[in-house]
Amino acid sequence: MVLLNSPYCKIILNEPLRLANWWANIPSISFSIVALYITALNLLSDISSTSIAPILSAHELRCVRGERCLFDGVGFSLSAGQCLHLLGSNGSGKTSLLRIIAGINRPQSGDVQWRASSIFDDPANRLKYFSAVAYLGHKDGLKDELTATENLSFYRRLENASNQTLIDQDLARMGILEHAEISANKLSFGQRRRLAFARLLHADFRLWILDEPFTGVDIQGRTLIEQICNQHLASGGIIILTNHQSLATSLFAQHIKQLRL
Amino acid sequence: MNNTFILFCQREWQLLFRNTSNLVQPLCFFVIIALLFPFSLPLENELLQRIGGGIIWVSAVLAILMSLESMFRADFNDGALEQWLIHPRSLPLAMLAKVFAHWCATGLILALFSPILCLAFRIPAEQIWVLFLGLIIGTPSLSLIGAIGAALTVTLHRGGVLLAIIILPLYIPILIFGAGMITQSYSGAAIYSQLYALLAILALAITLAPFAIAGALRTTIE
Repeated sequence: MVLLNSPYCKIILNEPLRLANWWANIPSISFSIVALYITALNLLSDISSTSIAPILSAHELRCVRGERCLFDGVGFSLSAGQCLHLLGSNGSGKTSLLRIIAGINRPQSGDVQWRASSIFDDPANRLKYFSAVAYLGHKDGLKDELTATENLSFYRRLENASNQTLIDQDLARMGILEHAEISANKLSFGQRRRLAFARLLHADFRLWILDEPFTGVDIQGRTLIEQICNQHLASGGIIILTNHQSLATSLFAQHIKQLRL
Repeated sequence: MNNTFILFCQREWQLLFRNTSNLVQPLCFFVIIALLFPFSLPLENELLQRIGGGIIWVSAVLAILMSLESMFRADFNDGALEQWLIHPRSLPLAMLAKVFAHWCATGLILALFSPILCLAFRIPAEQIWVLFLGLIIGTPSLSLIGAIGAALTVTLHRGGVLLAIIILPLYIPILIFGAGMITQSYSGAAIYSQLYALLAILALAITLAPFAIAGALRTTIE
């Protein structure tokens, strides 16, 4: 008994047991390796499929304003890196369509789907969608009393983009850095549009919804916005915009799908 | 700090101090309305003392009502409201912060200023405290309930009158308990029942009004 209780004897007796335990683990280890392999394969196929499958799609949208039906049966689908150009005469419902896609208004019938799930009926998906979408309408959401920097700073903090030093970088990119400390109501219309556009640069918005982004900006501003849009599309973003002029000569012409209302 | 409540509070205060008319106008309106009464009533100390508290309460309600119309107007006109509607952050919490900032600029300042007005009505010191307490507890409910009306009328160009018609009837209970507190204290009775009623209304308003405001904004902006 004394011999059995000695530490040497314990090791001799325990070691084969531990080995046996280890060998018993082999089936489970191999199983988990296979499982990991399968999930990795799934992930890879997901990534490859999302780049082909549409990320944003709309089906049979119908919008009624007052007594008049603005549009009916409108649908489209967009995958990563594509831009949708909405065309139509004044009052044909371009802005109404943009507001429906942005989730501000609800359509009379029809549905908008983000990653194959409705943005109107699925609350969890709605929140995910809202953190991926940036809407820049006729109203720019800028405060007259605040300076350009303060306006951008609020929107950065709203998106949890903590690094405040990058504001100057965004302003410089839009060419309005010298007006950073001027309150927004003293900026010209074009400068204000540039400032509103700077809001899109700081966060990871996958989808940009732009209502006439080129109104009021000069030729340099237009080229600048085209460059930024092109970069956004190249990095897998999606853009929906309205513009009265043709975009056939723009930098990102090859990515454009047209939809006439 | 990127907490929604703190973020929106900071923004509202920043805007208030840029545009100080929103701070000064309700206060001036409050003082002037209240001071019109001593001029139009017979000069009897006893009468003024008895009705002074009620007059100050009515003036506070009117001053807050006047400031409500502009509460969401600027945010609606420049498109900021649309941006919040489609933001993943909690809209009710953001609206609670906005109402809190509005109360700091109106109700809190009016309450702090009310003891000076009490002197014009020769209200005794004990009742001054009662009035002050009532205003501090009652005015947040006024702001919260009023904000629901402001949210409902934000898209109307001249929604001021409609806002008054919607909101003033809802203010009556607060007015009854707030002014009743002073009458009660004037006759030497305990004021606890009115105080508790005001606190109950406040608790109800803080918990429910933000959701009502958010819902009202979602339906009116469409």
